[in-house]
Amino acid sequence: MRPAVAPVAAFLATRMSQEIAPKLEGFSAGNAGMIGAMLQMMSEEWDRAASRLVVENAAVRTLLQRAGEVLGDASFGAAAVGDDLDLRISSLDAANDRLRRVLTAAHARVEERDGVDARALEAAIWDELRASVARRRISSANF
Amino acid sequence: MVNDAGAQRVATDASSTMKPITESSLSDYLATRVPEWREARIHGLHRLPLGASRETYRFDLSHASADGGARETVRLILRRDPPASNVDSNRRHEYECYRAIYGHGIPVPRMILLEEDPAHFDGAISLAEDLRGFHNSEYQLQNPEWQPRLPRLAEQLWGYMGQLAAVDVGTLSVAHFMPPATVESTARQELDYWVTKLEKNDVGAEPITWAAIRYLRRNYPVAQKLSVVHGDFRAGNVLYDDEGNVRAVLDWEMGHLGDPLEDLAWSITRTFSFGKDDRRSGVVPKEVAVSTWEKASGLRAEPKELLWWELFACVKAQAIWAAMGHVWESGANQDVIMPYAAWWLRNAQDRAVLELMGKL
Repeated sequence: MRPAVAPVAAFLATRMSQEIAPKLEGFSAGNAGMIGAMLQMMSEEWDRAASRLVVENAAVRTLLQRAGEVLGDASFGAAAVGDDLDLRISSLDAANDRLRRVLTAAHARVEERDGVDARALEAAIWDELRASVARRRISSANF
Repeated sequence: MVNDAGAQRVATDASSTMKPITESSLSDYLATRVPEWREARIHGLHRLPLGASRETYRFDLSHASADGGARETVRLILRRDPPASNVDSNRRHEYECYRAIYGHGIPVPRMILLEEDPAHFDGAISLAEDLRGFHNSEYQLQNPEWQPRLPRLAEQLWGYMGQLAAVDVGTLSVAHFMPPATVESTARQELDYWVTKLEKNDVGAEPITWAAIRYLRRNYPVAQKLSVVHGDFRAGNVLYDDEGNVRAVLDWEMGHLGDPLEDLAWSITRTFSFGKDDRRSGVVPKEVAVSTWEKASGLRAEPKELLWWELFACVKAQAIWAAMGHVWESGANQDVIMPYAAWWLRNAQDRAVLELMGKL
């Protein structure tokens, strides 16, 4: 689509927040303000979503394979199998959700495990979780 | 949206699945329910952009005076329970919270009426006095002209919070509607409640929140004392005047018996830092908020216990943001604020967990 979606959504966000919302009152004004803010979030997410999901899914798959080795549990490695050839956001999101649920289970298990390998894996999981928050960060967020 | 529909004003919005509240339906109901408001007429009924969990309406009611003199006008707030909400509470609970706190040093509006039969308005409603002419905006507080007034607001915001913590719960009429708790049980009770809610409203994997939950389950604190906990005490839930004086503390629907540190921790969580800086609730730095609360409550906010409740606040908040996404996806409540809050807050709340756990 041209003009590109991200700048158009950002443009609409500005029009909604600065031009339309101020002309409304009360509940409607609040809704218009939130719709403007959501358009801005959509603008940011539109361009980066596929990229961040592909990067993240690959990172989590690597962690799950490692968890399978450290924890001696082949199910983690099996859960890591897959690819992201379907680049629709809905497909990438579904894979991401599944992978991160398994990562949550691996994280809980590794916390209970002693040893240098377990501590190193735990640190790597936290590194990925920190990176995931950075990938998802919204410019309008309070924190 | 407020529409003029002939002689009848209607307060509704396109997303509501409930029947609209009209001036005539409200007049008819009140004529029967409150006969002392003779010849009652409703004016200016409209929905306010307040809160996400309940619908809030403002209106004037005029009625014939008892002595036959000029008509009298009452300013009122109506709250209605929606069919689905991000907070599982009900009209009676909040109504009783307000009544219990009224007259104990914390400013709250006076409750007037509770109607629990949903047949009248599609959901239970309550009426309260409307304290008008005050402000309620965390965004407004970030404007430069408000900066000189923030210290006063902070003194009263965390001052009243500390006063609430200091109130002897034995003097309050709360046992008939608040679940019992002890200083030993409250942390586990609250965490169990919100984890259940998070699981019920699953909108996606929560690896960071679950790491926090595991930490919390390994480190339960014992409360210094049992207090009434407001449950959502922050700058966004107070009315303040032009000088920055707190005139009312609102939204008591999550009030419960618990550890008074819970309110303090909730008020300083990062997602409520509307100045996008270190000022908590967008008002003052954490150290100032904590010391103000300690002075007013006579209690200590020990760092380890406060950290537990700050992390708990993140879990509770994440459960609420997830519920907002879930009720929107289910179609049960499609107010704009539901997906807005889920989009805007979930990642920021995760980031707050990372900071508290030393992982950011």
